[in-house]
Amino acid sequence: MAGANHQTGHLLRNPEKLPLPSRSLETEVLIVGGGIAGLSARRWLWQHGLRDVLLVEMDNQTGGNSVSGQNAISAYPWGAHYLPIPDLRNRELLDFLKECHAITGFDPAGLPIYNEYYLCHDPEERLFINGHWQAGLVPEVGVPEADKQQITRFFKLIEQLKHARGSDGKDAFAIPLGNSSTDENYRKWDAVSFETYLNEQQFTSTYLRWFLEYGCKDDYGSTLENTSAWAGLHYFASRKGVAANAEPNAVLTWPEGNNFLVRQLEQQAQSPVHSNRLVFSVQENERGVQVLCYDVLNKETVSIQARKVLLATPQFITQNLLKNRVSADFQYSPWLVANLTVSGLPQGRGLPLCWDNVIYGSPSVGYVTATHQHLNIAEPQKVITVYWPLVQGPPATARQKAYETAYETWVQQLLTELETAHPGVMPYIHAVDCWIWGHGMIVPAPGFIWGESRRKAAQPINGKLFFAHSDLSGISIFEEAFYQGIRAAKEILEQNDAA
Amino acid sequence: MSKAQNRHRHLLLLLSVFVIATCGLIYELVAGTLASYLLGDSVTQFSTIIGVYLFSMGIGSWLSKYLDGNLLKWFIRIEILVGIVGGCSAPLLFALFEYAASFRLILYTLVSLTGILVGLEIPLLMRILENQLSFKDLVSRVFTFDYIGALLASLIFPLVLVPYLGLIRTSLFFGLMNIGVAGFLLHQFPETKPYRRSLLTAILLSSVLLIGGFVYAEQIMTYTENLTFQDKVIYSKSTSYQRIVLTASNREFRLFLNGNLQFSSADEYRYHEALVHPAMQALPNANRVLVLGGGDGLAVREILKYKTVQSVTLVDLDPGMTTLFRENELLLKLNHRSLLSPNVQIINTDAYNFVRQDTSQYDLIVVDFPDPSNYSIGKLYSTSFYQELNRLLKTGGLAVVQSTSPYIARQSFWCIRNTIAACGFQTIPYHAYIPSFGEWGYVMLLRNRHWRGDGPLPPGLRFITSKTIHDMLNFPPDMAEVPTEINKLNNQVLVHYFEDDWTPYAH
Repeated sequence: MAGANHQTGHLLRNPEKLPLPSRSLETEVLIVGGGIAGLSARRWLWQHGLRDVLLVEMDNQTGGNSVSGQNAISAYPWGAHYLPIPDLRNRELLDFLKECHAITGFDPAGLPIYNEYYLCHDPEERLFINGHWQAGLVPEVGVPEADKQQITRFFKLIEQLKHARGSDGKDAFAIPLGNSSTDENYRKWDAVSFETYLNEQQFTSTYLRWFLEYGCKDDYGSTLENTSAWAGLHYFASRKGVAANAEPNAVLTWPEGNNFLVRQLEQQAQSPVHSNRLVFSVQENERGVQVLCYDVLNKETVSIQARKVLLATPQFITQNLLKNRVSADFQYSPWLVANLTVSGLPQGRGLPLCWDNVIYGSPSVGYVTATHQHLNIAEPQKVITVYWPLVQGPPATARQKAYETAYETWVQQLLTELETAHPGVMPYIHAVDCWIWGHGMIVPAPGFIWGESRRKAAQPINGKLFFAHSDLSGISIFEEAFYQGIRAAKEILEQNDAA
Repeated sequence: MSKAQNRHRHLLLLLSVFVIATCGLIYELVAGTLASYLLGDSVTQFSTIIGVYLFSMGIGSWLSKYLDGNLLKWFIRIEILVGIVGGCSAPLLFALFEYAASFRLILYTLVSLTGILVGLEIPLLMRILENQLSFKDLVSRVFTFDYIGALLASLIFPLVLVPYLGLIRTSLFFGLMNIGVAGFLLHQFPETKPYRRSLLTAILLSSVLLIGGFVYAEQIMTYTENLTFQDKVIYSKSTSYQRIVLTASNREFRLFLNGNLQFSSADEYRYHEALVHPAMQALPNANRVLVLGGGDGLAVREILKYKTVQSVTLVDLDPGMTTLFRENELLLKLNHRSLLSPNVQIINTDAYNFVRQDTSQYDLIVVDFPDPSNYSIGKLYSTSFYQELNRLLKTGGLAVVQSTSPYIARQSFWCIRNTIAACGFQTIPYHAYIPSFGEWGYVMLLRNRHWRGDGPLPPGLRFITSKTIHDMLNFPPDMAEVPTEINKLNNQVLVHYFEDDWTPYAH
């Protein structure tokens, strides 16, 4: 069993038990948290000349939700594993992808040319439904005509919403989410659940609803009932990427998942990164901020004096570090991620193994083939990554239950799941590794996206404390974390310019 | 014993005759079918199997006179044995086909053993019944049931058993029937009481074995899929990557990889001369050559005919293949010991990874991959792959790509050509007729240089001349260019075209 280091994390509950500082150091900017937001801020500061920056990470590797593992067969993701090609207006992200050689150039029309080793290879997606593996994830095989009509109607609506603009001229749904229109005509949908919205619009088809809930589970770890209708629509209507050499809905992926992007972010700056460091106290003082940091390996506490501190931590951590700060509105869904080494899989009828493989009506959101981007002809063994949001009951209960569940029980559940689409799968499986994410993803519950909590939590304090994390966007995707990191870095730079 | 009881016993025993007769003929048919299946040449196989089987039955009948004492007990024992030996014959033969050298010995031993045991059955039964019926009744009834059973077997075997159960399950199923007869007699006849226990254990154990085999028949079968050859198998080996089978007839031998024909010794020269010479004759100073695929060394044989060539790098995934073509005398004769040449370096690795990592530059690159029949191989025909080739080609160098059949797989062929062209290469598509394959296509690729087909050729070629090269460039209307999409890693259109193209030919 592996997992985000919740044991180290839980030391935060009793900070008084940690030792007094035995060393001290100073830095201009301290970044707490080495996930995408923290690393993006560090890169941005470096590229804009602010180089006296130290980043500390609680875990033994940076990456946050985008960490990865490796075995004899392949690297594989433990969390986030792909990035949809971005909107042309997201210049900052395009620049980053260029530096990663994920974009190799632009065609005469200005469309990015993506590195084809990184674009998801064909065949991309399949769905096991009514005993058949069909291409694509939208249910088709054996779906009654009435349901098909509703599905068509839904996608027509999405097509409209993709191009819709509010009264302020902004896109109704954009990434970064903060660039979306403030028009009440769209924002009002945040107040109701996606389920209520679908009822109102008479989207009753079981097949369509399964598909939409699959989307909510996949991106937010939440159910139709627990997702804001605005967020539910955002999932489908916000992706507007285009490319010279790929379809508009194309994605970039790597065997190690988004850890590829983590390493790239890290390489694009040289300021120091210290891992295995748990920050447990943050106090403003006249010179800036004093931070106490526990060095997990050397079992000592270091006092860090910084002019400014960027808390690139999720809000459930931030509330423990700052006085008088509550983040009760921030809910996080727990996840199970499992990596299985298999010698092929018993193949049913229909399309062969794809990158993304989903089983209709099952509790997980399917599995992704980590070895899909490999170029070998002969690969007797493969690694597949199963993603399983734990949506049964309120997040806190599900989280507690997940921590208490034994490895054998998870394996049993995984096998039962795979057995439905791959009868006789057992002898094909050689190894199963599991990872529990206690706080896997921020849940965009009804009212959360356009409520006050998110905006307030992102406000800098006294020009000394800054905040960046995807949960401040309300949805847990790479683009938002990247954007939040840059936004906070810009605030820091502006503050410096003003001073 | 009352008369009624006696009649009951006759009927049971005669019913057994019917079942065992069916089983007996089924084993014979299974062995015959299996032999022609695995070894080819069905007339010879069927004829010799039936001969040996009938002869063995004769031996069994003759041996029956040595069995004395409790005849019913003997009969039940033999039923169990027939069940095990006959029932396991098909799975055993399929599994043992791996060891082709002694396969015939195993086949005929098993056929003889089954024959002997089956030969014992009828004489024994007749002796059990001899005191209870008159001789003429005995003979008439026993043989009536025997031949009815045979008729039933011969009808259900081709119509029901082979199509629905398959050979392995058929043989296991009838093994269970024999054991069923043993169990039934044991149960019905009170005089079997003293030895019931030990025989029952044997029956249970053998049933478990046969039922187990029945359940896992698919797995046994996967070892031997695609093994349908016309000719005699003279070599077969499973490597970690594929199954290599070599068959021989009077006029040629053929190499199969996973059941797919790779070449026939009778006409492979056409394929390999056409693969190498149109490019090589345009490279009078060619020095370094890269061959991707082609572990048989036949393309290398053609390349080594040019004395300017100092280094050939052959990249083939399977060491089993390259070792075979460096060691087998017959194959060394065919490839002119090309893979033993000091100028040839063999690298057993995956071609794509090799190409991505290699930093050398070559005058000629020969790309001889399997047809794009699945998504893994499809990647080797993508724009990304050809862009890597561009990096490895010297200025003025050439490459040639085996491009499947432009007649059967017309869209696929032109898709490969168009994909190469989309990477900025000039292309020269051409084709040749290879009797055992049909019309076969190639695409030559070059950049910023001229190509003419009238360069010097090495002596002794049997197919390629300047005239042949010229003729190969012409595509008649039934193979003429069609517009296609470009094959990229993220669309893999070629695999779809290939599937489309071949669907009408699949059965």
